[in-house]
Amino acid sequence: MTEAPITAVPRRPMAKAWTASRAILAALGIAALIYLPFLLTERAVFGVPLSNGMLLNLGITQINLMLIFMLGALSLNFLTGCAGLISIGHGAFYAVGAMTGAVVGTQWGLPLPVVLVAAALVGALAGVIAGLPSLRVRGLYFVLSTLAAHHIIIFIFQEYQFEFFDVAGVPYTNPALGPMALDTPIRWYFFLLVLVIAVYWGLSNILKSREGRAMRAMHDHELAATAMGADVRILRLKAFALSSAIAAVAGALYAYYLTNATSESFGISFAIQFIAMIIIGGLGSLPGSLFGAAIWLLLPSLISGLAANVGDAPALVRVLLVDNRAQFVQALFGSLVIVLLIFAPGGLPDLSRKLGRLFARERGQ
Amino acid sequence: MFAQVLFSGFALGSIYGLVALGFAVVFKATQVFNFAQGALAVCGAYFAVTAISILGLPFPLAILAMLAASALLGVIIHMTLIQPLSGRSMLAIIMVTIALSIVIRAVIEIIYGPQGRVLSTPLPTGVFIVGDLRMPKLHLTAAATSWVCMAAFGAFFRFTRVGLLMRATADRHEAAMAAGVNVNLMNRLAWAIGSVLAGIGGLFLGQLQIVSTELETIGLLALPAVVIGGLQSIPGAIVGGLLVGMIEQFSSSYISPKSTDIAIYGFLLLILLFRPWGLLGDQETGRV
Amino acid sequence: MKAYNFGSGFRAHMPKAIAAALVLGMATSGALAGDAPKDGVYADHIDWGVIMDLSGPTSSSQGVWTKGLQDYMAMLNENGGVGGRTVNVLAEDGRFNAANDKIAFDKLVSQTPVIALSGFGTSATQVALASEIRDGAVPVIGTYTPTKALSEPTSKMVYNGFCGYKQMADAGVGYMVEKLGLKNPKVMTVAIETAGGKDYADYVAAAVAKYGGTASSTTMKIAAVDVTPQVQQILAEKPDFITIYGIENTAILTMKTMQQYGLDTPGFGITYLGTKSVYNALGAEAGGNYSFISCFTPGGADESDGNKAMVSFADKAGHGDLASNINYVAGWVAGMTAETALKKVDGDLTRASLVSAIEGGFTVDPEGLAAPIVYTPEDHTGPQVLKMFGYDYAKETFVSYGDYADYEKYTK
Repeated sequence: MTEAPITAVPRRPMAKAWTASRAILAALGIAALIYLPFLLTERAVFGVPLSNGMLLNLGITQINLMLIFMLGALSLNFLTGCAGLISIGHGAFYAVGAMTGAVVGTQWGLPLPVVLVAAALVGALAGVIAGLPSLRVRGLYFVLSTLAAHHIIIFIFQEYQFEFFDVAGVPYTNPALGPMALDTPIRWYFFLLVLVIAVYWGLSNILKSREGRAMRAMHDHELAATAMGADVRILRLKAFALSSAIAAVAGALYAYYLTNATSESFGISFAIQFIAMIIIGGLGSLPGSLFGAAIWLLLPSLISGLAANVGDAPALVRVLLVDNRAQFVQALFGSLVIVLLIFAPGGLPDLSRKLGRLFARERGQ
Repeated sequence: MFAQVLFSGFALGSIYGLVALGFAVVFKATQVFNFAQGALAVCGAYFAVTAISILGLPFPLAILAMLAASALLGVIIHMTLIQPLSGRSMLAIIMVTIALSIVIRAVIEIIYGPQGRVLSTPLPTGVFIVGDLRMPKLHLTAAATSWVCMAAFGAFFRFTRVGLLMRATADRHEAAMAAGVNVNLMNRLAWAIGSVLAGIGGLFLGQLQIVSTELETIGLLALPAVVIGGLQSIPGAIVGGLLVGMIEQFSSSYISPKSTDIAIYGFLLLILLFRPWGLLGDQETGRV
Repeated sequence: MKAYNFGSGFRAHMPKAIAAALVLGMATSGALAGDAPKDGVYADHIDWGVIMDLSGPTSSSQGVWTKGLQDYMAMLNENGGVGGRTVNVLAEDGRFNAANDKIAFDKLVSQTPVIALSGFGTSATQVALASEIRDGAVPVIGTYTPTKALSEPTSKMVYNGFCGYKQMADAGVGYMVEKLGLKNPKVMTVAIETAGGKDYADYVAAAVAKYGGTASSTTMKIAAVDVTPQVQQILAEKPDFITIYGIENTAILTMKTMQQYGLDTPGFGITYLGTKSVYNALGAEAGGNYSFISCFTPGGADESDGNKAMVSFADKAGHGDLASNINYVAGWVAGMTAETALKKVDGDLTRASLVSAIEGGFTVDPEGLAAPIVYTPEDHTGPQVLKMFGYDYAKETFVSYGDYADYEKYTK
């Protein structure tokens, strides 16, 4: 079996110039990002209350969790979409971060920034160890070794948790950044937002660098990468280490945000959702990772919001949206992933582009 | 104790081997690493529930209906999901099978509800006691059926024209195509066989416990089994299944029930590191 | 080498995506625009929240519980509701995932506010949200799983709605020891290796110690397909009886595998494991050895007023097959508890007035579906009197062994 190159987002001319309209758009975007948490907390615009439906059934908790999942999606897309290494064990690196948080934060009582640095280091180390089989095996066999790594890491977490903590899980308390306690969702929001932007910026710079280009080349063709003077094996391990470090930091944040974590939180379906996110958003596209995470986290709420309104809808709609809403959301996501994989490997943006072209052609006729 | 554990490892390993065999047939023919194999087992169990409890068919007829439905499901999956993806990246193919299992689970829960269903069959219950060794009849039936199926498919691949054609197609796609073999037909047949074998496994597991979407877990055991045995190897899948059954039973009895996952996957990791082509696999084809 | 162009396509489609989102938002909001009082109390109805696993591995019990509560509220609404308002249940799905529970909790606290919450099937979630609830976010009346974090020490914000594991262990062990006439009983606990299982095994050990016996335990995975090694352990240790903690499948697998190996050690399950699907899966032979300890009486097991009313309403709602499910009854009784609490409030109904109205304690009369449930200012344990039930395969109904009053001695 060969690893066919993952279809990239087709090239489009990118306007480099900062026109006035672009600047205004950017400013509006930043203003919206700053206003969003206040809007979702106060649930009113200039004192005029908005209904839950107007706010699309969204809350600040979803946005914050979405930001935490964006870190995972970004790092997985960096690994899979860009470096061509497929990992089913990404959820386990979240568990590594949560476990590091339990030792460094909960047991040793060190502050959050130290926890995050430790999580990044332990995550990178775990990534290198889990990535070692990549020196020997490729493709499918590597995927399976990440699956094996997943089970081993989760087992360690479980043993650790039962040894030192309650069955109900590990508690994570008092997150603070120096003097500022992360005790409100809004503070979390800004902290996470900055972190996501920083990771995004860092990863896109890495991809533009010499090593990043070699990594892309490795993904497309190993020989080409070697011709560029890169040691492919080292490069692979580096990519794995970086990706797991980011996932581990996200895992520590996830545990702190929920204030409690158990080994059960990081099962195989937890890991699979990251793969779904990057497929929905588009493989190999960093903004696509953000988009995919947003869809994954927010769409269920939109559907619940709709479900609250069906009222006297036809029986089938009620069966799907009211009685079996949870199953319906699962089926919808599964089908979405299948449709995208078959018809639009570049994710939802790719699909909308293809549909747009289809409509344009029909109009032309 | 030892003989007892050996027996239960053998009985369960036989069921795992059966499901793993279906997995290997599919992989050999279409290069699809099917994460939905567990979900196919669940489908088989629910087909049986539908035929027996809902439609009220007599047992032999119900089994035939269940086998036919499983085969049809395999063919449909190949036609609608796998064929359009041929030649695409491994991630796409793996992910489509994962997404498929998510959809199957959701659809089953919508149709049958999340509560488990009871599968009542006339299969024998009770136990043979030989000295200290206790052998449940149901385990014996499951093991015997598994071996009959495995032997039947072994003979099919070795001695029948279609079986030989399937093997030839799996080994050399282009040559088979040039020789005028309908490759798609062969692949569909492989998917039908894979789905039927999973379905039989699901039937027995559903009988040993209760039919619910949780039976999907067997997929997670068949998967290491097939890799340990050697991905491309049909006897390897059977040996792998038996080994996984043994590892599971021995680690659970002699270490702790918690240790089964890590014992199985730790062994898998060792195999991947030192003999990635599996115990009975072919080194050349194993280098994917 | 290809030049990559991050997200240009995405950016080009951003306006369209935003437009689509706006249209969708408008469409949803059209119907929902209106008043949104802070505590979920409206002119004509009251919103009551539920957070349970409506999908995922635990949904077969928690989903049924939710239906029980919803059906009780539907019956209450048919009879005029509470104080001229109907009670509307907003049920959110946790899907066995703490993140979903957290989203659901914040939603019911502030987005679509509810007067109070019930349910909380996942114990890890209770632990995670315990401090927010204790600090007064929203009253929780009728929890599904009792956890220490939420219930100890007693908080004016939390009222348990299910029998506790300690009571289950005490009553179950007490009854079995007496029935089998045991002197130094040998007991084994079979539990899933997740939250609560270890606690339960400890409670059983403590209860067994009171009779001078010995207790051991073994664990299995929540999604186990085979428990042969666990049954081997039972075979080796030969306990007088076993007790099972877990999901339905845990009981089915354990009892069935024991039968397959020709073992007829009696066993009893915790309350959650007393369902028809367990007994049907076991069959008459293995099922005859199995009973369960419960503070709720399954539908059809006796002729009390509450039982008859529940069965007939469930039939009418198309849930007739659920009425005999212990989880459905527990949800139904949680509905009664919610009604009793709401009716304690004189005047303005808010979260604060509800909390202060019930602070001095209240008693729920489950009309025979359980022993009266007494909440005092110091004790919010909820249902504390349990009894043992079995199943009559010929009549297809549950049978209760004795009266609740006979069992009070075990839990006192």
